[in-house]
Amino acid sequence: MHSIWAVAINTIKQALRIKVAVVFTILLIVLLPVLGITTTGDETLKGRLQTFVSYALSLTSFLLCLLTIIISIYSVTSDIEQKQIYTVITKPIRRFQLILGKLFGVIVLNTILLCLFSAIIYTITIYMPKFINVPEYELIEANNEFFTARASLNVPEVDVTREVTDRYKELDRRGELPANVPREEIITQLTQQAQLAKRAAGVGQVLLWDFDNVESLAENIFIKFKYDVSVSPPDSQVYGRWFAGDYQYFKYGTQSKTPIYDEMHKHSVRDFHEIEIPAEVVPEHGHLAVAFMNVPLNNVAIIFPPDGLEVLYKADSFGNNFIRAVLLILFRLIFLACLGILAASFLSFPVAILFCFVIFFTASFSGFVIESFGFLGENIGTIYSYSLKWLIQLLPQFDKFNPTKFLVPARLISWSFLAKCAVLMVCIKAFLILILSLIIFSYREIARITV
Amino acid sequence: MEYAVETFSLTKIFSDWWGRTKVYAVDNLDLKVRPNEVFGLLGPNGSGKTTTLKMLLGLLHPTKGKSLLLGGDGADPKINCRIGFLPEESYLYRYLNARETLDFYGRLFGLPAKVRKMRIEALLDMVGLKAVANRAVGTFSKGMARRIGLAQALINDPDLLILDEPTTGLDPIGTRQIKDLVLRLAERGKTILLCSHLLADVEDICDRIAIMYGGKIQTQGHVRELLQQTNKRQITTDAISDATVEKIKQLVREEDADCEVTSPMDKLETFFIRTVTAAQQQAQPTSGAVSTTKIGDFLTQHEAVESILDKLVSAPISKNASGEIPATEKVAAVESARPKADEQLLSKLTSASEPSESKAVRREIKTEPVESQPRRQEQARENILDKLTGGSGTKSQDKDKTEKPQAGDSGDA
Repeated sequence: MHSIWAVAINTIKQALRIKVAVVFTILLIVLLPVLGITTTGDETLKGRLQTFVSYALSLTSFLLCLLTIIISIYSVTSDIEQKQIYTVITKPIRRFQLILGKLFGVIVLNTILLCLFSAIIYTITIYMPKFINVPEYELIEANNEFFTARASLNVPEVDVTREVTDRYKELDRRGELPANVPREEIITQLTQQAQLAKRAAGVGQVLLWDFDNVESLAENIFIKFKYDVSVSPPDSQVYGRWFAGDYQYFKYGTQSKTPIYDEMHKHSVRDFHEIEIPAEVVPEHGHLAVAFMNVPLNNVAIIFPPDGLEVLYKADSFGNNFIRAVLLILFRLIFLACLGILAASFLSFPVAILFCFVIFFTASFSGFVIESFGFLGENIGTIYSYSLKWLIQLLPQFDKFNPTKFLVPARLISWSFLAKCAVLMVCIKAFLILILSLIIFSYREIARITV
Repeated sequence: MEYAVETFSLTKIFSDWWGRTKVYAVDNLDLKVRPNEVFGLLGPNGSGKTTTLKMLLGLLHPTKGKSLLLGGDGADPKINCRIGFLPEESYLYRYLNARETLDFYGRLFGLPAKVRKMRIEALLDMVGLKAVANRAVGTFSKGMARRIGLAQALINDPDLLILDEPTTGLDPIGTRQIKDLVLRLAERGKTILLCSHLLADVEDICDRIAIMYGGKIQTQGHVRELLQQTNKRQITTDAISDATVEKIKQLVREEDADCEVTSPMDKLETFFIRTVTAAQQQAQPTSGAVSTTKIGDFLTQHEAVESILDKLVSAPISKNASGEIPATEKVAAVESARPKADEQLLSKLTSASEPSESKAVRREIKTEPVESQPRRQEQARENILDKLTGGSGTKSQDKDKTEKPQAGDSGDA
């Protein structure tokens, strides 16, 4: 262990003294406050905070990723190329200990830098409202929709299979099925139509969502929604009457012990909006209903897009969520450190850097990459699914575990989500990569061939 | 353990990318180095010396054959604990300073902080770099880097020291110092395997040599046996009168032999060292090479080192008394005893100060022929050394050289 630690310390010294880490650190220390001052977002406080956190965290994460790749590769390849490894490896240290020492050093350095920068970002974020003169309602908005960590109630899937099957049979019976179209395609179309119908409210109609097993909450809940309309009204705004409360009250008209929320709002279309609802409306049995009524004032049908309605509640504080977001970045860095070590165990510095950058950028867009391969032609698709697909699956999904995706809309990063990321990215993928690099490094010849 | 270093048909073939044989770098090498031997591996550039060392240490995998260091695998940490290695160039971390460099290597050995610190200071003193200990080694001259390289090889007080071209880049005093160091270490029972093509250095210090060419050993044997001209005799005297010289010539002629009388020449090395020392003693300001000055510092501070080291030596630790008695054909091993004087001297010149290992070393007494050429040089060198060390070592050193057979009598330090 002492030798691993000695190598780790040496790696940290190297990173600092060859000034790579210093350059990155200074860059960030300058850039972060500048970002804090210059970002304006959509001119509201919330927008400003969101933009700052999003940019600052992405920038920090990106620069630290580059730093990790560079340091982890350089610390191994420079030892081999400049031959310091001759004197190190002939001391009582096993090769795997040397590699673990390097990795450990890179991770420790990363952790320190990440702590430093996230502390800066957090401080700027927290103090930003105090330095900017904003109206009271913007402060409240920021507190409700940014300085929090909210989870959403699960919107139950609307099951339309039966409807669709019935409709298909009916069409079939009437002989109205289009010719030359396979059954699956018709079913898909019918399903889409049926689902759309479930999300659309004609004038005077009511849409109802129900949420089961809702626990009683301490703080208010929020309905977040977006309207779509077939024809935009002149001022692009529509009225909506919103209800929330005991499900049985709405469904069966039974007397409700808890209050029922019932208010009229006017909101612009095609934007997300939130309505705050008192926590008391949640009934004791936990079966909550939220209903929307398209009031006759509108004179237009209103459709909720597929992700157009959510019921949010505060699940944790902003601070805790921020810590978990930083941990997500740390997992990413650990993975990259392992990747860098692997590349360095058999490639020279420039090639290893290139290799890691390719992996890094692919992993950053892995969702897009995986999706785009789904549209391959039949023949190539078969080849792909047996070869490249597995390799791409092995990539970490940086975009899926992107912390800004959660912090900007103040979404809860749950511990289970964090654990999933840790298991997938660190315990499985990074670990496999590390094992592979240890094997390669243990069996390769250290010395260069010179005769 | 019969041999400190042993190879069995060690072969290294370098192939090109297609796997076609390109070069036999080392070809069926059977090398045997006995414990407590200074073994010189000689050969022209590209004869496979360094490749052999790299294979011994596990930096290269042999194509065929195997090698043993101290009876084990050269890549085994247990064996590495007892080995010091100085590569053909001192490959150092440029961003560390001299002290940090040694500290890093000390940590790899897991030396306790206290021992590590003492050894580092003693080593820095020894190699004369104490004044620049806080400078990044990237700014060091080649000779200074070499000194740090040597210090890192000695930090664990190794039983087997492998030196690849140890004197390259060093000034004459540094070279002299390394040669003395090797001799002292050998006296303490250490084994030294060194690679060089600087023949003068090898001739001065090696017991046995092997000359390699084309990856094979062309010849090997004892230096003296290989070099001694048995058909000639040499007599060295003080400055005697011409009349006496004539008498001697007369005597020689009576034996029907030729005789040549000259004043012996100083070696340039000896002369150089004497000049620099004289300058140092007069405290003349120097505009000479930095490293030269540093050696002066080291040598003038010698006494202080001695006391530190002596303290260390007298510390009562004993861990791995292996009980092995290194034996060579011309040596009578004396059980469990070391000459006191010898030990002091040693501690002076080496940083090797851990008494634990030294306890395991049973002194070996060399009964080398005294008449040969190297002997004379040694005498001269000792005088220089004595001067440099302020005369403190004179007595013990003489004793060391001349009274070795009595070593068994003296008690443990």
